[in-house]
Amino acid sequence: MKWGGKLVQRLVQLGFLVALLGTWHFMTATGTINPLLLPSVPSVWTKFVQIVSNGEYWPHLKITLYEYLVSMCIFVPSGLTVGYLVSRSRFTVRTFDPLFSGLYAIPQIILLPVYILYFGLGPGSKIAVGATIGFFPVVLNTIAGFSSVDRLYITAAKSMGASGFKMFWSVMVPAAWPVVLTGLRIGLIISFLAILGTETIVSLSGLGHRIVTLAELLNTSLMFAYIIFAVMVAIALNFVVSTAEARGKRH
Amino acid sequence: MRTIAQPARPGGFREGLSRVVGTRTADWVAKPGGTRLLIVIAFFIVWEVGVRFFGDPLFLSPPSEVLHGFFILLGEPKVIAAVTLTFWEIFIGFLLSVIIGVSIGLPVGLNLFSRRSLFPIILLLYATPQVVFLPLVILYFGIGTASKIAFGVSHGIFPIIVTVVAGVQNLNPTLLTASRSMGASQRQILRWVVFPHMVPSLFTGMRLGMTGVLLGVLLAELYVSSGGIGYYTRLFTDTFAPSKVFALVGVLAVFAVILNELCRRAETHFNRWRG
Amino acid sequence: MNSRDVAIKVDNVSHAFGLEDEERRVSALENASLDIGRGELLSLIGPSGCGKSTLLNIIGGLMPAMEGTVLINGAPVRGPLPQTVAYVFQESALFPWRSVRENIELGLSFQGAPARERTGRAMDALSAVGLADFANHYPSQLSGGMKQRAQLARAMALKTDILLMDEPFGALDEQTRMVLGEDLSVLLAQTHKTIVFVTHSLSEAVFLADRVAVFTARPGRIKQVMSVNEPHPRKPEFMTSDKLSNMRNELYELLHDEIRKTMMGTEGVAPIAAAPAPKRAAR
Repeated sequence: MKWGGKLVQRLVQLGFLVALLGTWHFMTATGTINPLLLPSVPSVWTKFVQIVSNGEYWPHLKITLYEYLVSMCIFVPSGLTVGYLVSRSRFTVRTFDPLFSGLYAIPQIILLPVYILYFGLGPGSKIAVGATIGFFPVVLNTIAGFSSVDRLYITAAKSMGASGFKMFWSVMVPAAWPVVLTGLRIGLIISFLAILGTETIVSLSGLGHRIVTLAELLNTSLMFAYIIFAVMVAIALNFVVSTAEARGKRH
Repeated sequence: MRTIAQPARPGGFREGLSRVVGTRTADWVAKPGGTRLLIVIAFFIVWEVGVRFFGDPLFLSPPSEVLHGFFILLGEPKVIAAVTLTFWEIFIGFLLSVIIGVSIGLPVGLNLFSRRSLFPIILLLYATPQVVFLPLVILYFGIGTASKIAFGVSHGIFPIIVTVVAGVQNLNPTLLTASRSMGASQRQILRWVVFPHMVPSLFTGMRLGMTGVLLGVLLAELYVSSGGIGYYTRLFTDTFAPSKVFALVGVLAVFAVILNELCRRAETHFNRWRG
Repeated sequence: MNSRDVAIKVDNVSHAFGLEDEERRVSALENASLDIGRGELLSLIGPSGCGKSTLLNIIGGLMPAMEGTVLINGAPVRGPLPQTVAYVFQESALFPWRSVRENIELGLSFQGAPARERTGRAMDALSAVGLADFANHYPSQLSGGMKQRAQLARAMALKTDILLMDEPFGALDEQTRMVLGEDLSVLLAQTHKTIVFVTHSLSEAVFLADRVAVFTARPGRIKQVMSVNEPHPRKPEFMTSDKLSNMRNELYELLHDEIRKTMMGTEGVAPIAAAPAPKRAAR
């Protein structure tokens, strides 16, 4: 076995995980840390199995997913449409692209108080945050994707008689698609995280809110279970979206 | 950049406009920068007029009111203290992020083995939704400044580590061989070859890290609503003083833009040799 | 040439770039005139930037001429003519997101061919160029030579009378060029299309063409049109024959000064070794 080979790398990563769990267990078992602050590994595990098996996560997840889906229905079509329209002339690109880039650079979280003022504490403000945060990567990448379509494809298609809708659908969309898809992936992921974050900060319902409630109740073992659950949902989403992106980019 | 005056095409937008406002103004407007400014101005006008006539004053404020609110805030020392505190949290958080980020990034990046084994772990941590840990962090670090800084740092270190590792990875091994052949010691190589090579990537990482620290600190501040800007935003929201909410948000937004712009300029400056 | 036999008539075509700005205007083509016969294979050759690709694009209707007209089958060209003109480009203009066969089918759908015919015509064309086995491969999976053959198949599937090729073998290595050149000659002898192709290679021009139009340096004028009297299909032995060598050398002498001028960047700067003043007879 070659020192530094793949197997050893995996072992190191595994070792890291084991060390983490081990330290955690050690600290709780020996009572170094107040069990209210750091619940024991088995208690968290029990709670985790509990919430998954009896489905008590569902009412919370349902709300978060609802907010996510609605915001998606807002920012995906608008981002794609605005992005395409802006990409149609160099002038609009040079005017709007820096505008969008600049706005993207501001952490949207700053606008949170405004959204809450306007949309209240319910799902409305989360949808608003998710939609505005998700909008920017989509629109920026759509602009980039459509404006960087190789002119050669357009010329070749024109020479064969393509124009109007056919040109758009059969040439420009497939050519721009990989870049647009990346934008969609980024937007889908960060909007979910933003929604989760907003729920944490101020909310009446949803997964993020649940975690906060449990923290306030000092029900730390259940809170840990929910945190792990939320992380897994996020990772699952990440996986789904990234796989979809990779498959869409096959050629 | 010297602009070349272009004759207006008959019937074109610029030609029509030039008849109204004169050729030179029309030329300036027709440039992207000019149009952008016009859009921004139009936005403010619509905002002002729209809210004054159609908006509910409990929820929305026209820009003029916001400006007024801004000056009121300037006169409230507690608000200023809260904002200043936030600024310091960001600053310290950023500094710590850079120090920790580089301290982790350099060794991981330089050693092939640690890069291959530890880096994936770092990437995994980077991808986790840190925001769900916020209540936990507050639980551990309390509701004071420490938790805000801690949360900011945890958001800021990852982009820095990742870009430092990437910057070190790109180092052409020929450069190292050449240096060693000229008799450079390990320390000299680190100082004069590795470090300068990594610096441009570092600045990119610092820009991303700054965004992260900003995000982390603001999230924590907004979550903990007992003092600090979180308290004031909640207060203004609950008392339906939208102009103050907008003003506070505006100040933070301007902060964010300035910081981001500074980082971007530094990044461009140090990336010059990349071409 | 009998007017009924003239497929393409180029009449005093001139073109320049940067038309909006006097300072930056670059004259690409000046007073180019040509009569191209039906079924003829004409090659355009000249130094870089001499406007030969521009002329090709103007003939095909991809670009309007600043001055002058182009008549195809007697009618002035005002835009792309998908029913009459097909293109082969230097860079592979195959759409990377579709397989080779789908690329051809897409081209046929642009042209307006009925859907039920498309697959059949695509496969026929691919067989003709020897790529039938690769019909479902994607362009990224093909070599440079195969990609150009696929482009050729696409152009042939469109069943146009005229084929315009812009340095079709430009991106390929010498050996592939030679083989493809022979294949092309065989293929084209069967189809009787009118073909105009742009090339940098002197031997390729002589080997394939019936006539070779030589361009001057920018602004491009047609310096001379040379006839190659050799029946089609051209046999591989023609490539190594004295006849081809002589004509190639003639081309070289015509082009040499023009190439020098292009490299100097301005007209009229004396080259290192003084050369006789070039003839400027445009036909």
